[in-house]
Amino acid sequence: MVTSLLSTDDLKQAQALVAESGLRFELPYGDLVGVFEAGRLVAVGARQGRVLKMLVVAASHQGGTLLDEVVTELVGRGYQEGIDSFFVFTSPALVPSFESLNFNLLVASGKTALLEYGDGLRRYLARYSRQVFPGSNGAVVANCNPFTVGHRYLVEEAASSVDHLYLFVVREERSLFPFPARFRMVQEGTADLENVTVLDTSWYAVSSVTFPTYFLKCDDPAGAIQMELDLLLFATRIAPYFHIATRFIGSEPFSRTTAEYNRAMHRILPPMGIGVRELERKSAVGAAVSASRVREMLARGELEGIAELVPVSTLDFLLSSEGIKIWDKGGDK
Amino acid sequence: MKIMKKVQAGTLQSSDLMVFLEPAETLTVTIESTVLKQFGDLIRAKVDEVLAKHGVEAGEVRITDRGALDYAIEARLETALMRAEG
Repeated sequence: MVTSLLSTDDLKQAQALVAESGLRFELPYGDLVGVFEAGRLVAVGARQGRVLKMLVVAASHQGGTLLDEVVTELVGRGYQEGIDSFFVFTSPALVPSFESLNFNLLVASGKTALLEYGDGLRRYLARYSRQVFPGSNGAVVANCNPFTVGHRYLVEEAASSVDHLYLFVVREERSLFPFPARFRMVQEGTADLENVTVLDTSWYAVSSVTFPTYFLKCDDPAGAIQMELDLLLFATRIAPYFHIATRFIGSEPFSRTTAEYNRAMHRILPPMGIGVRELERKSAVGAAVSASRVREMLARGELEGIAELVPVSTLDFLLSSEGIKIWDKGGDK
Repeated sequence: MKIMKKVQAGTLQSSDLMVFLEPAETLTVTIESTVLKQFGDLIRAKVDEVLAKHGVEAGEVRITDRGALDYAIEARLETALMRAEG
């Protein structure tokens, strides 16, 4: 029977079992479960949101159903929280064992493979089947926290050089402005551009699944691997579906992680048939426009200068009662 | 009957299946199976039969199967349908 591992002794056994298999016991996790036999832990697994990890069956007990039981328990618990698609990172050698549990391989590179249970990628793409346009299309992936004249410039330039431009807004909720607000600002700020479609990245680009270090902002070597997975997933699964031949990016003078991501794009995408065009960032009032600059000004209450950095539609949103609630944490709620 | 909420039934173990139901405007059924090539049609026929028996006309039905026999398919799907009702 699969049980939660909560006591100090449970945790000790779990750490030992995970270490024995060569994996790292990695915090954080939401659920940690396992199977005991005569007081000894013989299988373990953890779940952090939609990512399953540290799935280990003791060498003496492999070949049975323990992995199935552990994954069933973790999926069942996640599903009760409203998550209906689950990811697992593993070594390419273990891909067949997960495929026999009905996991689908999303992408593999060298030492790491990303698999999904729940058919989420196919369902995500199917949701946009009516927005697939023929031709030679382009893509921009951006957080737009909030949508600035810099984003607008990038989108306008990109849209003028392709048949259709897809603007993917990062779904992940790790930003000052929540996803629905960012999505709305982008839609309103690009409504006049006929060949632009605004989409949601879901979990399949720049998310805590495909690219966790983007949000951690640290220099973990694991970050480089996952940047690669993020881009391979884009190149092999997302771009072909939307006929995307070019990905557009703005030059990045501020964030090291984003600059690193841009470099990885130049390295990885062109060999896979996707061009990368980096546009010089737009400047206003003496410095490059960036969403982080807008957020700093909001925090200092410098509203006058912001009008130079964001389109009218974004400014309207920022000054609406809904917008003020988001950035003016000290003000009236 | 109508699928009123998101539910799940079954396991990922061999010879079993996992059923996921979700409310939706139209009826869609997707089946993933390790034996899809050999038995996909039979699995689909069984699922359609159970859905028809319960008068399910709308909802998203997802099945991940690992070679379950037809009575297991029926039992898991019916369990999920009952959970989805209330």
